[in-house]
Amino acid sequence: MPRKILRVNMKKLETNYEDLPEKYQYLGGRGLTSTIVAEEVPPTCHPLGPHNKVVLAPGIVTGTNAPSSGRLSVGGKSPLTGGIKEANVGTNFAQMLGRMRIGAIIIEGQTEGKDYYLLKITNDKTEFIKANKWIGKGLYEVYKDLRKEFGEKIGICGVGIAAELFGGNSGLCFNDPEGLPSRYAGRGGLGAVMASRGLKFIVVDETGAPGVEIKNEEVFKKGTAKLLKALGDHDVTKPGGALNTYGTSVLINIINENGGLPQRNFSRGQDERAEKVSGEAKAEEIKKRGGVRPHSCHTGCVIRCSEVWTKPNGKDPVGVLEYESVWALGPNCEIYDLDTIGELNRACNDLGLDTIETGTTLAVAMEGGLADFGDGKAALKLLEEIRNKTPTGRILANGTEFTGKAFGVTRIPTVKGQSMPAYDPRAIKGIGVTYATTPMGADHTAGYAIATEIMGVGGEADRLDTKKAELSRNLQVATAVVDSTGYCLFIAFAILDIVEGLEGVVESVNGVLGTSLTLDDIPTIGMQVIETEIKFNKAAGFTSLDDRLPEFMKEEKFPPDNEVFNVSDEELDSVFKF
Amino acid sequence: MPIQVRLYGDLRKILPQHNYSKGAPSVFDIDGTEIKLVSDIFKKIGIEESETSHIFVNRIFSGLRKKVKDGDRVAIFPKNMGLLYKWYFKKVEDNDE
Repeated sequence: MPRKILRVNMKKLETNYEDLPEKYQYLGGRGLTSTIVAEEVPPTCHPLGPHNKVVLAPGIVTGTNAPSSGRLSVGGKSPLTGGIKEANVGTNFAQMLGRMRIGAIIIEGQTEGKDYYLLKITNDKTEFIKANKWIGKGLYEVYKDLRKEFGEKIGICGVGIAAELFGGNSGLCFNDPEGLPSRYAGRGGLGAVMASRGLKFIVVDETGAPGVEIKNEEVFKKGTAKLLKALGDHDVTKPGGALNTYGTSVLINIINENGGLPQRNFSRGQDERAEKVSGEAKAEEIKKRGGVRPHSCHTGCVIRCSEVWTKPNGKDPVGVLEYESVWALGPNCEIYDLDTIGELNRACNDLGLDTIETGTTLAVAMEGGLADFGDGKAALKLLEEIRNKTPTGRILANGTEFTGKAFGVTRIPTVKGQSMPAYDPRAIKGIGVTYATTPMGADHTAGYAIATEIMGVGGEADRLDTKKAELSRNLQVATAVVDSTGYCLFIAFAILDIVEGLEGVVESVNGVLGTSLTLDDIPTIGMQVIETEIKFNKAAGFTSLDDRLPEFMKEEKFPPDNEVFNVSDEELDSVFKF
Repeated sequence: MPIQVRLYGDLRKILPQHNYSKGAPSVFDIDGTEIKLVSDIFKKIGIEESETSHIFVNRIFSGLRKKVKDGDRVAIFPKNMGLLYKWYFKKVEDNDE
């Protein structure tokens, strides 16, 4: 039985399984979500209107025993950027879809009344259940309820209070292996798109699922064994390596030391107080409190960069505090206390907010006078405005740019309406080129694969050098490929240094699909995905003038380097020319 | 003004007598009169390149042959904190030495 598409019509409250069309046979993850969105969603439609869709697609190898491959792509037209969006998450939910041979779920149409629904998907049927009793409730409480009602082995996808407000900063929340609402396809406001269809939750029970169809078991096994060895051997990805020991927060001290960790709404790049919220500080505290470190966001991950942060007494688990989240809710708001950051992260998870966009929204709100920088209690109160659905809360739920405009702030760190993450582009120019040119809006993951060698181009660059178009393009293309396979982006570290690991990735994909792809096919596949996304954005009205960083970053010097963003417009425009 | 050395993570253990707060590096000054290169600092404090990942001299990702002088800030990260830099940034060395 080949993969299917599950089409969910919210207007009729009907579902229908369709054969995955021939033209989609070799697509998965981001490649599949972006292709379906480009084909089925009118680029000029209102993101919250009847014509937009939410598409969820596991990667090609997701659901198999390939290591670190439990990734899911979520696509649609973003209410935050107005362009195409792919948000990516690691969760068992993705693996369940893979094993049920669901290549994609397409959620379309809008309910006619004000009811919210839960869609339950089992191996042999689907069922709509009214979900109104969970309106206005925090997701920590709701996910406990759902596991009680539907069993502990389910996978959950849900949207929170921020999505009920149709906030441009509302994500899709997935459970971690222990059931916490801590894994997010957070960026771009796709939570609001799902809520605006009238769908609040998807619950998946994979009992009886046939498993992923593997066309060539021998090739698949050979490939996954090579990748597993590479991940286990490499310094970054092996047990006891940087990600496993400290999680992504290992970067706090590194980027701070390098002068690129934005503090106080992107005002300066270094502050010794950041050390208090570093990966080392967090790992030490987790150990002392009895939290969990390392931890996996999905079963079968061998990198295990995740963790479970708790209150000082070891209770009330939050889930993972990622580098980007710690930075956004911490140093960028001049908050240098892990417990306050933990509670802010808990509030984001509970309300259904993207942590990056929330932190940058709070910092802009602080600059606009809603609270003092460094005032964690005031920051928590502002998030309660969202819970209480006040006018201020509605503004904040719409993200950084909307909040900046509402409160007269001109220093707004966004591209295409989406806020920048934890690397200042004035100190690290290459990431600035990615922020400017990715079709996703400012997004570090779009060009983070650090995979230049895949494309046969030199991999090292001076961070202040302004010639970065080629580097950024290669990174973005490689990332689009990884996001389509279902593998975690972090495998990039190992497969770059260990060529057998990269061969293993290609062989595992060939094993599942029955194809004969080679390393040489990688650039073409990635470029096709990005070309599809850029064409959608152009049809939605984007021009090269949208591929620019905010004015203040071109004029305001960023200490301690005292650099401005001085990459030329011509250089930016040379990244993608179609 | 001496050279400020900042040892992060597990490298802090090589100076057990040195106090540092949670999450922060072990920070100490060394006299720069006999120090010309990063490698001289390594020799002086007794660490090997294989124990380290990223070295920053005044925020610049650097190699062992990078020149240093009084007033410089030299940050050294242990092997198990290696992330990002090795792949993305050019390591600066002073090859004329």
